[in-house]
Amino acid sequence: MSIRNALLSCLSGSLIIFSAASVEAASSSEQASEKNSYASIAELPALAGLWEISRGGAFNTNTQPRLTPPYAAMAGEYAAAQARGEIQDSPAANCVPPGMPINMREPYPMELLFNPGKITIILEAYSQWRQIFTDGRGHPEDPDLTFNGHSIGHWEGDTLVVDTVGFTRATAMARSFGVRHSEQMRIVERMRLQEPDLLVIETTVHDPEALIEPWVSSVAYNRHADWNLAEYVCQQNNRNFTTEDGKAGINLEYTAD
Amino acid sequence: MLESITRMLLVAGFLSASGLALSHHSFSVFDMETQKTLSGKIVGFEWTNPHTWTWVDVTASDGVVTRWGLEGMSPNYLGRRGWTKNTLKPGDSVELVISPLRSGEPGGTLLRAILADGSTQYMFGGP
Repeated sequence: MSIRNALLSCLSGSLIIFSAASVEAASSSEQASEKNSYASIAELPALAGLWEISRGGAFNTNTQPRLTPPYAAMAGEYAAAQARGEIQDSPAANCVPPGMPINMREPYPMELLFNPGKITIILEAYSQWRQIFTDGRGHPEDPDLTFNGHSIGHWEGDTLVVDTVGFTRATAMARSFGVRHSEQMRIVERMRLQEPDLLVIETTVHDPEALIEPWVSSVAYNRHADWNLAEYVCQQNNRNFTTEDGKAGINLEYTAD
Repeated sequence: MLESITRMLLVAGFLSASGLALSHHSFSVFDMETQKTLSGKIVGFEWTNPHTWTWVDVTASDGVVTRWGLEGMSPNYLGRRGWTKNTLKPGDSVELVISPLRSGEPGGTLLRAILADGSTQYMFGGP
């Protein structure tokens, strides 16, 4: 909703008569609060709702990160140990979430919620959430290092651009746990409705320590208007495990209810 | 080693092509290149995260009963694809197609279930 329309609806609702001059004189602070109002959300592209990753399709790219020599060596050693059977699984087997950006590529839905100044993404997998501040704030100077980082967002036309920093090195950059990142990792996501029910997110991973060049990839998500989020408590009945050195196993002991 | 890496990539390619969704863990403990059919009676069906667990008693020709534990996709995933917590019930006679554990223990990952009424429920969204 434009400022003019907002004021007009305010006028018609309250019968207060404004002059054209006072509309022109709307202060910048009023404009800022207008941008963060619920009314302004209704004017945004309809990204709100429940989405699940689409398998295959024209908008999914399968690019791989180009790693710097030390990180490529780490990834190579990990893959070789996997091939020898020495490493079998990642901490995910112990219910540790994968962190960004893989968090956004799980075979479970996510729900985008819009509030004034903030977009929340509920990630069903591992019952997580991300918050993306759209109130104009920047990143903290020295952010805490977390799995999902600190996100700020702004709109470029019909594209929501999300910038995220502050990642713990406990997570991997790619699906293979051998592909790691530094604390300098920065992720820029460009989220756009390709079609009313098809959300495409182009993800660019920057990491001057780990990457020769930014890693750009895209994934599409289908809207599921008739689905609801479901509970996901990974510790409920997790029979998988992996040890410190990556050996995997399964607990096959049957216990009747 | 090159051969085993190639093999791993082939398996990974097969898994993604068949729509098998990697999430909670890798499938390294299972022999995904082998399929085995179990005929037995359901003992329990745990509709839990991060995986459903199907427990089935299989009676061999010599009368020895082995209890198999079978991991499946989560209730969140399956619940959106035609399964319910009652799809498998204790006492049901079923055929279960699985990929077995590499360890040789009586366990595996469930691929599809042929129910007593002859219908098939798929674990990964379709045939």
